[in-house]
Amino acid sequence: MSREKIITNLQQAVYILNFAAVCLVAGSMSMGIFRIVDAMEAEMFLSLLKVRPWNPRTIIITSIAGYLCLVLLSCAGQLWEHRGRYMRVMITLGEMVLCIWTTVALNMNYNGLVLLVVADMVRGQKGSRQKLILGIAIVGLYTIVNYNLTGACFNMIPWESFLTAYSASTQAFLKGILSVFSSMNLVLFILYMTMLIQGEYRERERIQNLNEQLEEANRKLKEYAAEAERNAETRERNRLAREIHDTLGHALTGIVAGIDASLTMMDISPEATRQQLVKIGEVARQGMTDVRRSVSKLRPDALEKLDLEDALVKMLKDAGAASGADIRFHNQVKPLKFHEDEEEVVYRVVQEAATNAIRHGHADEIAITISKEEGRLTIEVHDNGIGCGQVEEGFGLKHMKERLSLLEGTLEYGGREGFYIIARIPIRWGEEH
Amino acid sequence: MLWIPAMVGWILLAMAAGCAAEHFRGKSRGTVIYFGMNAGSYWDVPTGSCYEVIDTAIRRFEEKHPGVRVEYTSGILKEDYPEWLAEQILLGKEPDVFMIPAGELDTLASLGVLKNLETLMDKDRGFESEAYYPAAWRYGNIRDTQYALPYESVPTLMFVNKTLLDKEGIDMPGEDWTWEDFLAICRSVTRDTDGDGVIDQFGCYDYGWKEAVNSNGAKLFEKDGTVSYFADSRVESAVRFVKELNGVNEGYAVTAREFDQGKVAFRPFAFSEYRTYKPYPWRIKKYSDFEWDCVKLPAGPDGMGQSGLDILLMGISSRSSQEKLAWEFIKELCYEEETQLHLLEASQGMPVLRSAVESPQLKQVLGNDIPGNGNMDVEVIRQVMEEAREAPNFRRYTSVMNRADSEISAIISGERSIDSGLLKLQREINSLLRQ
Repeated sequence: MSREKIITNLQQAVYILNFAAVCLVAGSMSMGIFRIVDAMEAEMFLSLLKVRPWNPRTIIITSIAGYLCLVLLSCAGQLWEHRGRYMRVMITLGEMVLCIWTTVALNMNYNGLVLLVVADMVRGQKGSRQKLILGIAIVGLYTIVNYNLTGACFNMIPWESFLTAYSASTQAFLKGILSVFSSMNLVLFILYMTMLIQGEYRERERIQNLNEQLEEANRKLKEYAAEAERNAETRERNRLAREIHDTLGHALTGIVAGIDASLTMMDISPEATRQQLVKIGEVARQGMTDVRRSVSKLRPDALEKLDLEDALVKMLKDAGAASGADIRFHNQVKPLKFHEDEEEVVYRVVQEAATNAIRHGHADEIAITISKEEGRLTIEVHDNGIGCGQVEEGFGLKHMKERLSLLEGTLEYGGREGFYIIARIPIRWGEEH
Repeated sequence: MLWIPAMVGWILLAMAAGCAAEHFRGKSRGTVIYFGMNAGSYWDVPTGSCYEVIDTAIRRFEEKHPGVRVEYTSGILKEDYPEWLAEQILLGKEPDVFMIPAGELDTLASLGVLKNLETLMDKDRGFESEAYYPAAWRYGNIRDTQYALPYESVPTLMFVNKTLLDKEGIDMPGEDWTWEDFLAICRSVTRDTDGDGVIDQFGCYDYGWKEAVNSNGAKLFEKDGTVSYFADSRVESAVRFVKELNGVNEGYAVTAREFDQGKVAFRPFAFSEYRTYKPYPWRIKKYSDFEWDCVKLPAGPDGMGQSGLDILLMGISSRSSQEKLAWEFIKELCYEEETQLHLLEASQGMPVLRSAVESPQLKQVLGNDIPGNGNMDVEVIRQVMEEAREAPNFRRYTSVMNRADSEISAIISGERSIDSGLLKLQREINSLLRQ
């Protein structure tokens, strides 16, 4: 049986037990009065008292109604446990008033109800300042309802007076039952308090446990942060490598191809060679700018200054001029304008594809098409280079793939006669598309 | 867990419904003032119609307050009345207005049964406590709080056997006669008339130390019952006088039989008995062999011949739901001159209102009752009422007086000396009172 279940059962037992005790005391008092009247001993009985007893029906109704209201309030206190401090204080005050009311109706001949109220108060209390108030309230309440302390001041009629109406054996029996009720009430109260305190102890243990777990998680988080830093470093190194490959590699490829061409043309047409050299110089300078940019982690210079389409056109024109290849660029998506990261990926993929075609495929014709297919941006690059049967994935392709995967894009390539690359990027299409 | 509050709620609802039903059933009966009284005469004398005065007062009250009924339980004997009242109190059904059994005022007031009348009196501008004779008014007062109003009273008078005095050639005592006169007459009438050597004519019967103490103006207790004054010189002279008076009979204990036979000259006599036995037919049935009348008690050296006054009180229940009506009704009984005058005709007691006693009706009533010359002086009655002394009304008065009575009887019979015996008694009583 769970602890909550035990506590609930204990509480029910306390309610029922106290109900029985209240009924016993109130009933014996009322019945006592009737018996005294029947025995024509009313005058004698009254002369021994200091105060007129309530009439028998009032005793029964007042005490039982008072007790039942107390039980209702106690239940309400449990049901509305989380309705705030104000509610709790009101309920506790109400319980105290009803406890005193019922006990006075019983002429303070049964004070077990205090335990019920005290149990409720202890269950509801939180904080040390409240503990002090609670202590004072408990002592006060107990004092008020204790016959020996205050009953005489309030002119209460002792139970024994009412019991004189019964025979000696009945008196002993009634007293015995009440004392059994009182003791059982006390036992149940102690059990209940034990369970409550145990529960509190467990709660504290649980919180301590949680604390430890939290610390462990914290430690792991720190380790993870350190690792993430290392990862970032690695990533940065990779990025640099990629950038160098993309910019320097691209420029150098153009320069090398251009110089080769110049060497061939030099004797035939010095004028053409001179023009070629001028273009190579431009490519070299562009390469240098790109290197600077990538070192300072910035976007390609062209993208920074121009929009994507213009940047692509310029870059391809430069590449074509430097290598002498015929690069045709065909864009079907208007306007060619996306988020920065997407634009950069598109730019780099086209740049890498063109570089690859020139460097590895020795192509002199390259066709680049950008289109929109099934909601995805598709970049197709075809060349008339040597192609290859078995593609060995180099640094360029790998990086292209990496970049694409950042945008969840895919890369497809191949070709025996000539080489093709198809990149598909799920673009976050803006309003203009 | 919800079954407990649900069940409790239902029980509470049922209880509330029951109480509401009871309440409305009570309401449908209309406004009822419940009155408590005993049957027969409160003064222990035969009476014909004990309810006459009350019934008339109730009729008058109901006419003044339409829609209000006054009910009472009839047939409760005087000796059963205290028990009946106690039972009603225990059952919470005590009357709104009721007669207070003799000597129970303090008990009922301390138990909280009686309503404190002070606020009701303060609110009632027409109500004047001076309308009552002081002793009657004081008797309803406990610890400076008025808990009851006097309804009827009975002063103690002195019965005089006129035939016997005439035979002995002695004049009727006047209203300012003293112990010495009283003792002298007793001495002269106490003798053996038939010559058999045994005294067969006596001075007085039933004159006790309490009468002597009253008529000597002595005070036995503080009003709140905390101190007694048995060793007071006035008490001492009263006891001494009674002892002397008893000595006249030479140890013979006079009985009521001898008194009825006309062999005794004096006897303290309650006004109620005077009212009962003076008129026809009781006059013929009792004391038929001699002429008799009543006078004031003889005065002691320090007193004025004050007599004790027995007072019947009425109170209001503190639980009465009809406080105002109850107050009006108790006033109808105790403060209404018509009711009080009716007492003169239909009851055996003396009204407690000055206006009733001083009205011409008193003379008329007393005169009507008594044919011939035996006519009691109305002025004497008024003087007696004005000077009369009420018995203390504190709770332990009866038990303490029983103790004092047996002790003083012993002193009078000579078992103890007077001064030391009284001092010892005072100490004993004071310690009893302190308990």
